[in-house]
Amino acid sequence: MNTETPQLAVSRVFDAPRQLVYRAFTDPDHLAAWWGPTGNSLPRDTIEFDVRPGGYQRWTEVNAADPRLRVHVHIDLTDVVDGELLEGVMRVGGRLQEGIEPFETRLRVEFHDEADGRTRLEIRQWLPGHLAHPSEEGWHQAFTKLDAALTNSQAVAMNHRGVQVWPS
Amino acid sequence: MAGTDQLSAVFSALADPTRRAIIAELAARDATVTELTAPLSISMPAVSRHLKVLERAALISRSRSGRWRASHLEAAPLREAADWIERYRRFWDSSLTRLDAHLAAVQAAGPVTDGPAGDPREPE
Repeated sequence: MNTETPQLAVSRVFDAPRQLVYRAFTDPDHLAAWWGPTGNSLPRDTIEFDVRPGGYQRWTEVNAADPRLRVHVHIDLTDVVDGELLEGVMRVGGRLQEGIEPFETRLRVEFHDEADGRTRLEIRQWLPGHLAHPSEEGWHQAFTKLDAALTNSQAVAMNHRGVQVWPS
Repeated sequence: MAGTDQLSAVFSALADPTRRAIIAELAARDATVTELTAPLSISMPAVSRHLKVLERAALISRSRSGRWRASHLEAAPLREAADWIERYRRFWDSSLTRLDAHLAAVQAAGPVTDGPAGDPREPE
């Protein structure tokens, strides 16, 4: 499915046992206590967790400054190893801040033991498809000049195998 | 279609904060190496090296008009990708700082009530 290198990697060590750090991600009461963005609240009755492979984590974030802005987060869990791994596709929708479109992003969170009972968290995140492959617009723009150059050179070289940005 | 190699080159070019700063600068207007160096706290040769990386990733083009060589941003939507990555990096950074405080508070409040994972130290 998505075997590409993640575009975002975050690593951090916490002075807490691995099971507790894992619970901070998988227990609704824990998650509501720390998950950002700052000032947003996660009403307890919107949090629904079924943490297992094929399960889900869902909640709603209410914007502090404008409670009408409600972000719905749905994570479809593809891979779960108790105390060790959470992986899934996070869909962000609802009433988002201006300029932010609904999107989905693949997310992987690993929990590793460190010395002295500490835990290292490894977060990997993949860009939403429309950003990672801006083929319709981004690459089109990027290659417009190249495209024009190729078109011009077609008269010269009939058999070029160049970049095609038009539908074939 | 755009090759994965091209995409890799783009993302490794965008992985560097200085290069993202340069891209942001060029999003506003074309600029020479001198103009790009002014707001950055690095040397002009270092800026030139960054520009070469961006040029190889086809994120910028450089024109020569007279003595001045201006850099021009190409493929602006890729900046959107860089912005997105930056936004999420900040999101994780602040969330994990709160997680750190939360974990400290939970542990200070008493023993962790979760079966196997308790205090790793053996009681005397």
